[in-house]
Amino acid sequence: MRPTNNQPPRMLAGELLIPALAVAFTLYFFSTIWNSPWTAKVSAFLVGGVLLTVCTLLFLRFAFLYKKGRALLSFGELFSREDISSGRVGLIISTVAYTALIDRLGFTLTTFLFLAISMLILSKGRRPALIGVSSAIISLCGWAVFIWAFDTRFPRGWFEVTMKAVLSNG
Amino acid sequence: MGETAGILAEVFFETIGYWWLIIPTIFLGLIVGAIPGFSAANTIIILMPLTLSMSLEAGLVFMVSLYSSARMGAGIPAILVNIPGTAGAAATPLDGYPMAKAGRGQQALAITFVASSLGGLLTTVIALATMPILARVGFYMHSVEMIVVMLFGISLIASIAAQDMLKGLIAGFLGLMIGSIGTDVVYATPRGTFGFLELYDGVPLIPALVGLFAVSEAFVIIEKKLIISKEAQAAMATPSWHATFEGVRIALSRWWHIVWTSIIGLVIGVIPGAGASIASFVAYQQSRSFSKTPELYGTGHPEGLIAPESANNGVTSGTLVPLLVLGIPGGATAAIMLVVMQFHGVSFGPSLFEDQPKIGYGMFMAMAVSYLFMMFTILPLSRYMSRVTAVPTIYLAPMIISFTLVGAFVPREYMFDMYLALAFGVLGYLARRTGYHVAAILIGVILGPLLEKYFLWSLKKSDGDIMVLFSSNLGNILWVGLVLSLALPIILKWRRSRANLVTQ
Repeated sequence: MRPTNNQPPRMLAGELLIPALAVAFTLYFFSTIWNSPWTAKVSAFLVGGVLLTVCTLLFLRFAFLYKKGRALLSFGELFSREDISSGRVGLIISTVAYTALIDRLGFTLTTFLFLAISMLILSKGRRPALIGVSSAIISLCGWAVFIWAFDTRFPRGWFEVTMKAVLSNG
Repeated sequence: MGETAGILAEVFFETIGYWWLIIPTIFLGLIVGAIPGFSAANTIIILMPLTLSMSLEAGLVFMVSLYSSARMGAGIPAILVNIPGTAGAAATPLDGYPMAKAGRGQQALAITFVASSLGGLLTTVIALATMPILARVGFYMHSVEMIVVMLFGISLIASIAAQDMLKGLIAGFLGLMIGSIGTDVVYATPRGTFGFLELYDGVPLIPALVGLFAVSEAFVIIEKKLIISKEAQAAMATPSWHATFEGVRIALSRWWHIVWTSIIGLVIGVIPGAGASIASFVAYQQSRSFSKTPELYGTGHPEGLIAPESANNGVTSGTLVPLLVLGIPGGATAAIMLVVMQFHGVSFGPSLFEDQPKIGYGMFMAMAVSYLFMMFTILPLSRYMSRVTAVPTIYLAPMIISFTLVGAFVPREYMFDMYLALAFGVLGYLARRTGYHVAAILIGVILGPLLEKYFLWSLKKSDGDIMVLFSSNLGNILWVGLVLSLALPIILKWRRSRANLVTQ
C-alpha cells in the first residue's frame, strides 16, 4: 500500500510500539490477578479495560489510515543508521555497562570510565585530554560531595575503600 | 492577640539571627532538591547527628530551611534540562522546559523563584493565621473525598492528551496500570511484579522519574549540539540582568495566580498522605481550566510554570499544620522533624502553642524567613544557572545519566532500581520518539497507586457498594467542582469561538 497524497506518510510500526507494549503488559497483569481476591482485581480491571479499549480504537484508526494509503508499516526514523553515527547506540551500551559495573567498581571509578567513554563516543574521539580531565574532575567532585562529605549511600568499590583508609589514617 | 503578636515579633528577629545557618542551608537544599533521588528527607536523615547536636531552635531552622529550599531546587533541573528533581516538580517542565529551549531559561528560573518564594511565604502567613481551621481539614478528607482530589490531578492527563486524545489516554492509562504493580492494599496479593520481590511495594517513584525524564531525555538531546535553538543561542550569548528582571516582572504581574495556586498547595499539604506531586498536578490543571489562553499551556506559558511551583511550595507550610497542631506528620520530612523535636522533649498537639509557643510559631517563622532569604539569595543566580542550557550535549548527556541513575539507587539501595530506571528510560525514549507524552505516563505512575488505595478503602468500608463514592456532602461538592473544572474550558472555548464568529 503506497501513500497517495503529498503529505509524508505516517510510520505506524513505531507508533504501535507503546500500545503493543501496553496491551501485552495489561494481559500479563490480568493473568497475575485472575484468581485473586476482588480487591486485587477491581481497579486493575477498570483501568486495564479502558486501556485495552483505547488501544483498540488506536489500532482501528491506524488500520483506516493504512487502508487509505496515508501510512506505512515502517519504523521510520525510530531505528536508523543515524543512531549508530550519532553515538546513541554507543551511549546506550555504555549506560548498560555503567549500571552493571557500578556495584563492583564503585561510584567514582565507574562514573569516571562512563563519562570518559561516552563523551569520547559522542564527540567521535575529539579532545581526549579535555574529556579525560573533565571526567576525572566530575567524578572526584561527586565522590567528595556525596561520599566523603555527606556519606551518602552510593555504591562503594576499590577507590572509595582505599580513600576511606587513607583519610582515616590521617 | 497582643501577646501572640509579641511572640511572633520576638521569634521573627530571633530567626533572622540565624542567617548564618539559613543561607548555606538554602544552597544545600537547592543542590539536594535538584538531584533526583535526593530529597530534604534523605538529607535530614543523613545529617541527623548534626541536627541533634544543634540547639532545638537551630535544628528546627536548619530542617525547615532545607525542606523549603529543596522543594524550590527540584524545579531548577526541571526547567533547564527537563528533569524534575522530585515528583513534586513533575508538572514544572511542561512549560518550564519549552521556555528554556527558547532561550528564556533565565526568565523561567526567575519566574519559578518568585512564584515559589511568594507562594511559600504567603501560605506560611495564611497557615499561621488559620491554623485551627486548617488543622481540621484532615478530619473531613476521607477516602471518598481523596478519590476526587486524585481525579483532579489525573484529569491533567486529558489536557496533555488534547493534541492526540487516543495517544494521551494510552500514555496516561499505561502509567496507571504500571502504578498498579505491587501488592494490593487489602490482602497484599502480588500483581504484575514479573516475579521481582523488589516490586512488591509497588513501582518506586524515583527510578520511574529518572528513567522517564532524565535517561530518555539524555538519549534524545544528543541529536543536537545544544539543548537550545540557534536563535536561543544568540540570546544566551549575552545574558543580562534584564532577563532576570523580566522574569520577576512576569511573575509579579500574575500575583493573583500565585495566590490561588499556592492556596491549593496549602490545602492539599494539610491533608496527611497527600503531597507536592498531587498539589502541583491539581494546580496546573486548574490553572489551565480557568485560563483565557489554555492553548498556550505546554508551549512555555508563564502561568503553566507559576501554578505547579507556587502549589508545591504551598505544600511545605501545609504539612507543618497537622504536625504541630495534631502531631500527625503529613509527609516523610515532617515525620523526621517530629523525631528530632521529640528527641528535644517537645510534645505536639494543641498544647504546644500554650506550653512552648516559641517552638510552634518558630517553625512557621523559620519557613517565612527562609522564603524571604531565598528570594534575595537565589534570584541573582538565575543568570548563571541558565548557562547550563549552553553546555554541549556531548558533555551534558553523560553527566545527566550518571548522576541521575545513581540517584535512583540511593533511596532503597537496590541495584534493581538502577535497572528499573534504565527500563523506564527505554520506555520514555520510545514514547518521546513516537509522540506519547512521558508526563502523562508519570502522572499515572504517581497518582495511580494512591487512587487505587483510596478506592479500595472506600469499597471495603461500603461492602463493595460503588455508590459510596457519592455518599458524603463534601465529596459531592468536590465531584461537582471536578465536573465544572472539566466542562468549563470546553464551554469557554465554545463561547469564544461563537464570539469570534459573531465579530467576523
